[in-house]
Amino acid sequence: MCHQTVSLVARHLEEQGIPTVIMGCAKDIVEHCGVPRFLFSDFPLGNSAGRPLDAESQAQTLELALRVLESAPAARTTVQSPQRWNGVAAWKRDYLDLAKLSPDSIAERRKEFDEVKTIARAKREES
Amino acid sequence: MTMVAPGAKAELAVEDDGPIPYMQRTRDYYLALGYGNPYRWAHFDEVPFTPLRTPLSRARVALITTAAPYQPEAGNQEPGAPYNAAAKFYQVYSIPAESVPDLRISHVGYDRKHSTAADIHAYFPLGRMKEAAAAGRIGSLGPRVHGAPTNRSHRATETDAEELLRRCQEDRVEAAVLVPS
Repeated sequence: MCHQTVSLVARHLEEQGIPTVIMGCAKDIVEHCGVPRFLFSDFPLGNSAGRPLDAESQAQTLELALRVLESAPAARTTVQSPQRWNGVAAWKRDYLDLAKLSPDSIAERRKEFDEVKTIARAKREES
Repeated sequence: MTMVAPGAKAELAVEDDGPIPYMQRTRDYYLALGYGNPYRWAHFDEVPFTPLRTPLSRARVALITTAAPYQPEAGNQEPGAPYNAAAKFYQVYSIPAESVPDLRISHVGYDRKHSTAADIHAYFPLGRMKEAAAAGRIGSLGPRVHGAPTNRSHRATETDAEELLRRCQEDRVEAAVLVPS
């Protein structure tokens, strides 16, 4: 939801005259929404601003985002960062991987998700 | 880095080494859990575009994040904590850009297997943006950092987007960097 949220906000700011750039890790969600400028890092969700504990990676990521902000020729400009999370791409298979879940663990996940939704709803209603 | 030097030949990548198809994975996952009626992700044909009118070295730039201020009463928000819906927030917030805020991401679905959210700078580039301002790469930071609530409801997000616009206009920023968690 984070990627969709910033995509919708970027669109609104841009419609009202404020140029934007998104730094993010979920390419399909951002491009499906349609945004003006996007720096895509092919990293696990949660690392939109660069590799953890690596100031150089973070500075390079920001610098690339700033270049996209100042030089994108048109809307829907996506630039992919050349940085790699690590040498192998195996991490990409793990996110919400159904193949690794037994029927029991699927039932457990559903129970957890229902609980989480209840908590979120209560929090939303009180705010 | 994977830039190929001029004159060198790039190697083919392995088959499944593309960007993760998050919308498809999410759809399959919640269907398997027994929820029908798959989520409709926001999708537009037309995309607005406003050229940057001020050189970045003179521009005032906003930072907008989806990270959440730490709430002591809201349970485990430590690096690697399980998904914590009690740590969510549903109102736009703003904090002074000169502060060193304590923002966490236990309230969202980041990749907990391959990442621990142990370094705020990996999801919140305020420190790096301050360095960019000090170096003259950007003119200045906006006076406040703004927080955007994450919602499944497009309509709720549109309301928040209007409030974020209002605050950006108050801050007189000339561009914005948006960073999802």
